[in-house]
Amino acid sequence: MKPKQFQKIVSEVRDQSFTEEVQKLRGGENILDCIQCGVCSGSCPARFAMDFSPMQIIKMIHLGMRDQVLSSSTIWICASCYTCATRCPRGIDIPMFMSALKNIAIKNGFASDDEIKPKFHKSFTEIIRKYGRMHEPELKMKLMRKSDLRELYQNAVLAFRLWRKGKVKLLAPRMDQLSHISEIFEDLLEKQEEEASK
Amino acid sequence: MKYAFFPGCAVHASAKEYGMSCKAISKVLGIELIEIPEWNCCGSIDAIYAHNPVLSISLSARNLSLAEKMGTDVITLCSACFFTLSRANKLMHEDPKLKGQVDNVLGNLKLNYNGEIKVRHFLDVLLNDVGLEKISENVKVPLKELRVAPYYGCLLVRPPEIANFDEPEHPTSMDKLMEVLGATNVNYLDKTRCCGASLIVTKERIALEMTKNLLLTAKNAEADCIVTACPMCHFNLDAMQKDVESTFDVDINLPVLYITQVIGIAFGLNVKELGLNRNCVSPMKLLSKLKI
Ligand code: SF4
Ligand code: SF4
Repeated sequence: MKPKQFQKIVSEVRDQSFTEEVQKLRGGENILDCIQCGVCSGSCPARFAMDFSPMQIIKMIHLGMRDQVLSSSTIWICASCYTCATRCPRGIDIPMFMSALKNIAIKNGFASDDEIKPKFHKSFTEIIRKYGRMHEPELKMKLMRKSDLRELYQNAVLAFRLWRKGKVKLLAPRMDQLSHISEIFEDLLEKQEEEASK
Repeated sequence: MKYAFFPGCAVHASAKEYGMSCKAISKVLGIELIEIPEWNCCGSIDAIYAHNPVLSISLSARNLSLAEKMGTDVITLCSACFFTLSRANKLMHEDPKLKGQVDNVLGNLKLNYNGEIKVRHFLDVLLNDVGLEKISENVKVPLKELRVAPYYGCLLVRPPEIANFDEPEHPTSMDKLMEVLGATNVNYLDKTRCCGASLIVTKERIALEMTKNLLLTAKNAEADCIVTACPMCHFNLDAMQKDVESTFDVDINLPVLYITQVIGIAFGLNVKELGLNRNCVSPMKLLSKLKI
């Protein structure tokens, strides 16, 4: 892209309030310290699958490119492996603000419920609310696209392999103090949702 | 040596052999692990955290408060639980406002957390509390013929402000353990490269590609097996190895053992007790090489 073209795009999409919004997030406080050295992108083991590299995402945040950042695949592909943050010479906690960006993307409708990653987050949270602990078969069932025969077949093969090795626990986990978990969720999730709907 | 033990969800389900072998070697080494009664999900690295950080931290804090009542540090087997619980601990220390929010939630459950305990990985305990000397004293079957690729992955050794018992770029704790057992560590590059486990449910193809690269570098270094200390890595490298082979049309067949299983083998414990029959890629060839 020529610099002129780039400038035009930037001036069209720039939303300075987004930069400020990210600076208020945990992990985003020092995002302006980034020197664009590229260490994060060069170290990232999942870069090959992302549309923008971590370094580009940061520049896009500086430039206030809100919609592009929130609809990028990068924020969902980041595996929170902490290679980048461990090496970043400016001490930026990249996976931490990626997490926070997911939250903003969900709240603002950038991540639809049908997309697998947001759906994973939602289903995971629901299961923990229900049992207090993970129940893997139920998570898998919630996420499976039942119309995709190939996927159904592959999942059946995997399930059989795991079952033969005693790795499938069909019975849901049980906690006697499940009421604790319900209370934590009521305290935090519902309150948050109430506030959001106001 | 007595500790509060946080097994985590995987050790109760797909990673039972990790828990079994951990128990077996702990008995030999005189480590007493007391499971935290009524523990809950660690809080998740990202799935719940991204939704609602305070919710995730409160889930962590409930576990920490139960452990604190037991009067000891918390020991985990899973790198992800290790990270999540430690992160909660750290954030609560640093951020009084957050601590206040969490205190309110815990207060409703008649619990409280003073922040007096540490979260530690079992590998740290083996190395720094038990010590290499004691471990070497218990070796009955030196693993002379065995070439191993110790795999650290991500959150066991990173980020350094959280995982601080080893070096983040060139960790050596597992290598040292393998040496005292008599095994040879192969030289390979991807020791700390993320295996992609957190993407395996949702972005399978990407995760498989990350796993493939890793399996192949270990294989090309002529390792007999990979050794890991995390149930997430293990699931990806072991249970998904068949899918890696079929997706990319490669032949790998590389056993992946838990560090606790390898130690157990060297201690002369039996195959069943260590859950070695539960690994998806069969380690039997490797055991016959060791004449077990
Ligand atoms: S490593 Fe840090 S300073 Fe360098 S580009 Fe990435 S975020 Fe910016
Ligand atoms: S934490 Fe995310 S962005 Fe950073 S290196 Fe890992 S996958 Fe890449």
